[in-house]
Amino acid sequence: MKLLAKYNRVNIAATILVLLVGGLCYYFILRFVLIHQLDKDLKVEEQEVKDYVLRNNSLPNAANYKDQKVLFEIADPGNIKRKISSVNLYDTAEDEQQQGRQLIFAINSAGKNFKVTITKSQQETEDLVQLIVLLTLAIVVLLLMVLFIINRFVLNKLWLPFNNTLQQLKQFNLSNKTVVNLKESNINEFKELNAAVTAMSHSVLKDYEALKSFTENASHEIQTPLAVIKSKLELLMQAENFSETQMQYIQNIQEEISRLSKLNQSLLLLTKIDNQQFKDTDEVDIAAIITKHLNNYEELITAKEITLAQNIANGRLIVMNRVMAEILVSNLITNAIKHNTANGSIAITLSKDQLIVSNTGAALNTTPHELFERFKKDKVNSESLGLGLSIAKKICDQYSFKVSYHYGNGLHTVTILF
Amino acid sequence: MKILIIEDEKALSESISTYLKAQDYICETAFDFYSAIEKTELYDYDCILLDITLPGGSGLNILKALRKNNKADGVLIISAKNAIDDKVEGLISGADDYLSKPFHLSELSARIAAIIRRKKFDGNSVLHFNNISIDTQAKIAMVNEKTLDLTKKEFELLLYFVSNKKRVISKNAIAEHLWGDEMEGNLDFIYTHIKNLRKKLQEAGDADYIKSVYGMGYKFSDT
Repeated sequence: MKLLAKYNRVNIAATILVLLVGGLCYYFILRFVLIHQLDKDLKVEEQEVKDYVLRNNSLPNAANYKDQKVLFEIADPGNIKRKISSVNLYDTAEDEQQQGRQLIFAINSAGKNFKVTITKSQQETEDLVQLIVLLTLAIVVLLLMVLFIINRFVLNKLWLPFNNTLQQLKQFNLSNKTVVNLKESNINEFKELNAAVTAMSHSVLKDYEALKSFTENASHEIQTPLAVIKSKLELLMQAENFSETQMQYIQNIQEEISRLSKLNQSLLLLTKIDNQQFKDTDEVDIAAIITKHLNNYEELITAKEITLAQNIANGRLIVMNRVMAEILVSNLITNAIKHNTANGSIAITLSKDQLIVSNTGAALNTTPHELFERFKKDKVNSESLGLGLSIAKKICDQYSFKVSYHYGNGLHTVTILF
Repeated sequence: MKILIIEDEKALSESISTYLKAQDYICETAFDFYSAIEKTELYDYDCILLDITLPGGSGLNILKALRKNNKADGVLIISAKNAIDDKVEGLISGADDYLSKPFHLSELSARIAAIIRRKKFDGNSVLHFNNISIDTQAKIAMVNEKTLDLTKKEFELLLYFVSNKKRVISKNAIAEHLWGDEMEGNLDFIYTHIKNLRKKLQEAGDADYIKSVYGMGYKFSDT
C-alpha cells in the first residue's frame, strides 16, 4: 500500500468519524437549544394569557395561527397539571403530521376554571436545524474534497525527491562504478536521506573496488609461487629411480597444481570481466570462431566417439570483444565435450539471433539457475572447476545477451539470445 | 644455442636454466632491469626469456631497446600478467611469443625451439631424431623418408616430444599444449592420442620411442 493511500485512508476515516459524531452532537444540541427557545416562547405566551386575564378578567380570543394555537376549555382545575410536552400535530394545509410543543395550564377567569392549551409547531425549528446541518455538511464535504486534492497533488509533489532517490538507488550498479547522482532537495528529511544514500554508495563502491583489487592482486601474487612450484616439480620428474608410489604422488601434486593455477586464472578472468577490462569491441564473426574451436577439439570429439551436428549460419557479425567471444565459444564447446557421455552427441546451432549448444549427458543434481553461479557444479564430474558457465554468463551479461539452460530428453541445452 | 633468462624470481630462473641446460642450451641469467640491459647490449642471444615486471624497470623497455638497436634476438615474454593487453602490447613491440606464468618447462622449451627455428633457419628447419625427420614448415613428419599420415594434433604431439626429447612430460603439459588450458579435468583422452601416434610410428618401421612413465606422463627417448 502506498504511503499516500494509507495516509489518506486514515485521514478520511478519522475525518468522517469526527464529522459523524460531531454532526450528530451538533444536530442534537442545536435542536435542544431551539426547542428550549420554543418552550420559552410558550412560557411567554402563558404569561401573556395570565396577564390578559388578570387585567380584563376575561379570556383572550383563542388564536389559531399556522404555527401557534391557543385553546381554552372549561375544565376541573384539579385534573389539570401544568406541563410542557411534545405532541404530534396535524397540519391540514400540508396534510402531514408535524412535531410540536404544547403547554397546558389551568386558569381562572370570571370564576370559571379553564384549561389552556398553547401549541406551537416545531416545523420551523426543524427546518432551521435541517438547513443549518445541511449547510454545515456541504462545507465539510467541500473541505474533504479540497483536502483530498491537496493530498493527492501536493503530497505527490512533496515526495518527488524521495521517488527520485529511490529511482537512483534502483539503478545503482556496482560494476559500472557510477556514484548515485541525487537531486538537491530543500526538505530536511530528504536532504538527510540523500546525504546518507550518497555516503553509503561511496563507501560501497570503495569497498567493492578494494575487494576487486585484492582479488586481482592476490591472483597475480599467487602466479609466481605457482610457477616456481610447477617448474621445480617438472625438474623433479626428470630424476629417475622413483618408486611407483613416489611417482604417483608427483603426478597427484602435478594435477592439483594445474588445477590451482587454472582456478586462479579463471578467477582472474572473472575479475577482469567485472572490471570491464575488455572494452574494445569489434565486429566478431561468431561462425568463424565456432568453426575454429570445433577444429581444435575435433580429435577430442572423435576420441570420445561423439556425434557432432552443426547448423551454423554464416555471416552473423556481433559487436563484442574478440577475446570475450573466443572465451564464450570455447567454454560452451569444451563444456559440451567434458560433460558428455561416450557415444553421445553435440548439436550446435547458430542462427541470426541465437546460439544453441546442446549435448547428451546425465541429468544434473543442481537446479539449472545454480549452474551459472561460481563453483556450482554437478557432483558427477567433480574434476571440473565449476567456473566455465559462470564465466560464460558473465560475458553474456556484459553484452546483455540472454543465456538460459534447459535439460530434457537426456540433453543439456544452453541457449544464448543475442 | 645461447639463451638469456631475464627473470627476477631466482627459484624460477634456476629451474628454467636447469631444464634448458639439460636440453643442451647455454643459459645466462639476469635478475634485474639494469643487468639485463647490460647483457643484451654486450652479447647476442638466440633467444631471450623476458619477464615484464622487473626490479628497476619494465621488461617491455628492454624489448624496445633491443629492437631499437636492431638486435635480432628472439624474445619470448614470460609474465605473471596474462592480461590480453599485455600480450598485445608485448607482441606489437616486437616479441616473438608470449607465455603466461605458471607454465610447463616442456612448453617453454618447445616455444624456445620454435622461435629459434623461425629466427635461425627462416622456419625451413627439418628436425631429426634418429630415423624420424620433421619438417616444421611443411608440417610433415617422415620415418625413413616415408611420410607419416598424421592428424594435426598428432603432428603437434610428435613435434612436442622431439622438442622435449629425453624429458618426462606430464599429461597436463601435453593436454595444455594441444588444446589450450581449457581442458581441465580428466586427461584420459590423451592416452588415445599417444596410442594412435605410437601405432603410426611403429607401422612406419620405427622403434617405440614413446615411453610411458608410470603415474607421471611420457618420455620420448631412444634409450
